[in-house]
Amino acid sequence: MALNGGLCYHPANIHMFPDEEDFEWEPPSEAEMKVIQARRERQDKISKLMGDYLLKGYKMLGECCDLCGTILLQDKQQKNYCVSCQELDSDIDKDNPALNAQAALSQVRERQLAAQSPPPPHAPQLNGGASSSQSGGTVPQPRPEHCEGAAAGGRALLPPPVAPTPAAPAAATTLAPSRPPVSPQSSTLRPVLQEAEEAVLTKLRWATTQLQSSASLETSIQLCSLITSCASSLRSLKELSQ
Amino acid sequence: LKKYKLEVMLSVKHLHLKHALQTVCTLEAVILRSFGPEGGQVLFTRDTGQAMLSCSGTQILKALRLEHPLARMVVECVWKHSAVTGDGSKTFVLLLASILRLIHAAASKAPGVSQWSTEAAEAATARHLADKLLAFAMTELDDLICVSVAPHGFCVSSEDFTTKTQLPSCPNGFCVQALLSSFFHTRLDYVHCDFLSGLACELLGHWKFQNDTLSFALQFLNDNFPALHTQVSGFPVSSSHVIEGQVIHRDFATPCLQVNNQPVKAVVVTEYLQPKLLRRGDMLDLGCGGRVTGEKSIIPFSAWTERSLESVIATLQSLGVSVLLCAVKQSAAALALAAQAEMCLVECVSEEELSLFVRLSGVAPISDCWMIQPENVATLTFCKPIQLGAHRYADNLITSFKPCSLVICGSGEVQTEQYASAFQDAIRMLFTTWEPTRMTETTALKKPVQSHQCTSLNAHNLTEDTVCRSSDVYVLKPGCVIPAGGTFEFLLHHALLQHGRSCSASNYTNTGVGVSQILADALLTVPRQIYSHNLKSFLQTQTRVTSFTSNQPHHFMLLKNARGTTEDPEKGDEPSKLFTLDSGLESVSCKHQLLLAVLQCLTICCVDSLFIRALIFKPAAYLYSFYESKIYVRCFSLFRSSIMAAVKITHCLLHLVLV
Repeated sequence: MALNGGLCYHPANIHMFPDEEDFEWEPPSEAEMKVIQARRERQDKISKLMGDYLLKGYKMLGECCDLCGTILLQDKQQKNYCVSCQELDSDIDKDNPALNAQAALSQVRERQLAAQSPPPPHAPQLNGGASSSQSGGTVPQPRPEHCEGAAAGGRALLPPPVAPTPAAPAAATTLAPSRPPVSPQSSTLRPVLQEAEEAVLTKLRWATTQLQSSASLETSIQLCSLITSCASSLRSLKELSQ
Repeated sequence: LKKYKLEVMLSVKHLHLKHALQTVCTLEAVILRSFGPEGGQVLFTRDTGQAMLSCSGTQILKALRLEHPLARMVVECVWKHSAVTGDGSKTFVLLLASILRLIHAAASKAPGVSQWSTEAAEAATARHLADKLLAFAMTELDDLICVSVAPHGFCVSSEDFTTKTQLPSCPNGFCVQALLSSFFHTRLDYVHCDFLSGLACELLGHWKFQNDTLSFALQFLNDNFPALHTQVSGFPVSSSHVIEGQVIHRDFATPCLQVNNQPVKAVVVTEYLQPKLLRRGDMLDLGCGGRVTGEKSIIPFSAWTERSLESVIATLQSLGVSVLLCAVKQSAAALALAAQAEMCLVECVSEEELSLFVRLSGVAPISDCWMIQPENVATLTFCKPIQLGAHRYADNLITSFKPCSLVICGSGEVQTEQYASAFQDAIRMLFTTWEPTRMTETTALKKPVQSHQCTSLNAHNLTEDTVCRSSDVYVLKPGCVIPAGGTFEFLLHHALLQHGRSCSASNYTNTGVGVSQILADALLTVPRQIYSHNLKSFLQTQTRVTSFTSNQPHHFMLLKNARGTTEDPEKGDEPSKLFTLDSGLESVSCKHQLLLAVLQCLTICCVDSLFIRALIFKPAAYLYSFYESKIYVRCFSLFRSSIMAAVKITHCLLHLVLV
């Protein structure tokens, strides 16, 4: 689509809104673009399905579905049929982590990704830091029976931040940026990195001691994954400091 | 001008832009797989078990069951467009969908949308853009096409239809037959396209006379095509041929005794030869011419009718008439008497055939059987029965005029009908090609090109080949064609982008830029779909075409007439590389009409409240006069905006009908 900022529609021409001032049109952010793209693809899919049904002999009615607003089709037995409600997955339910395990999984993965990219708040601190600094509430937990590994990993990350030193959350809040792409200046980088390294090492040591004393298989697996993520955060910290 | 009665039943129905978008995109999805030279065919099955294969966009869309008012309106627009130009129904839907998508995207990005009522603002923006597009098309698109697209085209000679290689100066493939061949290729199949195009050229050759222009012949053929062709099913397509004379699609009711090829005399009778005894609503007043008889009965009356019949037949015999073409079914007595007098009678001839006969022979039909004049009598070279397939028809040949008609064969009834409609569409397409300025409405609205408005029009590059310039208005010359396969779209896309850039440099408003950009982007969907199976060809074609637009446009030889030499001897006789031998040809003016029709339909789609529930066009005359019409409007709710919207819709629709 080549329509960038070139199209500027002056609202003064709309008679309905005479009091509007000139709004600055900002390009949509990346997330919004993704949403727009997804919506467009869904609409294309709906149109294609409806076209196929029309060719099969269904009738296109003049009414729309109450739930989703798609045009209704009627088959030869006079039964109404809504393509989007009955065939495609719902648009909104898909993204609700409480209803959909996939959504929960993708949400957890997103947070992990945000945790591992520089400059990182270290992984164990992410959920605690993020939740305490932003929403203050708990992260909605994915259903463990559907996504054992990552969900368990996510869950396992939570209990440790409760126990250890209160210095860690404070460090987390000071250095937790909400967006991974934002990177601080190099002058402030060094002390920040050092603190992060220290925190990660502390966590690593604690995990090792826990691992030595753990008796259950589950906990050991979780602690191992914790150690892995600590190691990878240390690596990325080292890369950043170079 | 016959008057249309447009019955519009209104009911309140709010239409949002996204519904319009969804409807049009659904229709696009329906025709998409049949689009292009590699498109498939749709198999239709009726409840009676009859099956039909078709890739004609109009047929596919007409066969869908649609109750949604906007969908029905779009299909109606497509049908009307194809009734005028004969081609381009799938391209219509494709372009409409892509422009609507772009407008929808633009409307949702418009400032202020997120703040206020989203749908109202979106709808307002969309309407505004649609109106701007239409205004742009009416005023500037003509010039753009004439200046930037047509010089890369070629004017096909209208002088000779016989074969494509006979003319020494004609490069292989640049003639009417090539244009028809590529049309039949897309419409039917590639096996028979050459044969059918040859047949069409033969037919045209017969009907075009020295003094007439080609467009006159084409218009005549188009108007009288139902009477000038016969469909015969049960034979292969290759047995289609052109036969001499006009075929009346009825058999002789009395035995026809044509001994030798003597010229015969014929009359056209529209009434009953024998006065009908009892008709509905007649009141017989029984009394025999003033004589008072003892009894009053019907017998003297019937005797009188027989006597009058005998006198009519006697008059006809005295004039030497031996063929009677009747519009109605004659009584048994009339048939018997005619057989006795050795006259051939054909009954129940259709109105179209009779009017064609009357027009060709120049005689007046007999309306009053008691007044038969010599000017009612036509002379025919022959009139004999002919067996075509399973039916026997009467075949006439008029001396002063040598008509010929087409016999179209096909393996089944449905196939034959398809071939016949393809033929008629081919004639319409040719007519549009040779008569590009037929749309008088649009040319009247046009203002002449001002040279200071847009500097992108390189007027000095223009030649006299394809465009003639009269009083600052550019007009396409008849017969302008361009290679098929997306060339038109690429050239126009390039021209629109240049136009947009140059206009933003001058003091045009921003909406002027947006409009040409939208149109330019929408045009590219057509070649993209054509080459959807082969993206490499898309890029190849695009680079080839754009390389030509950057240089001076190459000019080709113009065939002024078959015998003359070209104007510019240095051009040589090699065609430009823009034309490849297998690319096929398409008509520039058909494409132009297509764009105009799409943009007019677009303004209807962007209306936010759709008030038309059912449109009933009485299938009477083709032309419609807006100011003389009677519009019956039954309103279910009276909002001022609704009335305005309804009037606007009807105006748009009627504009379409006019065009």
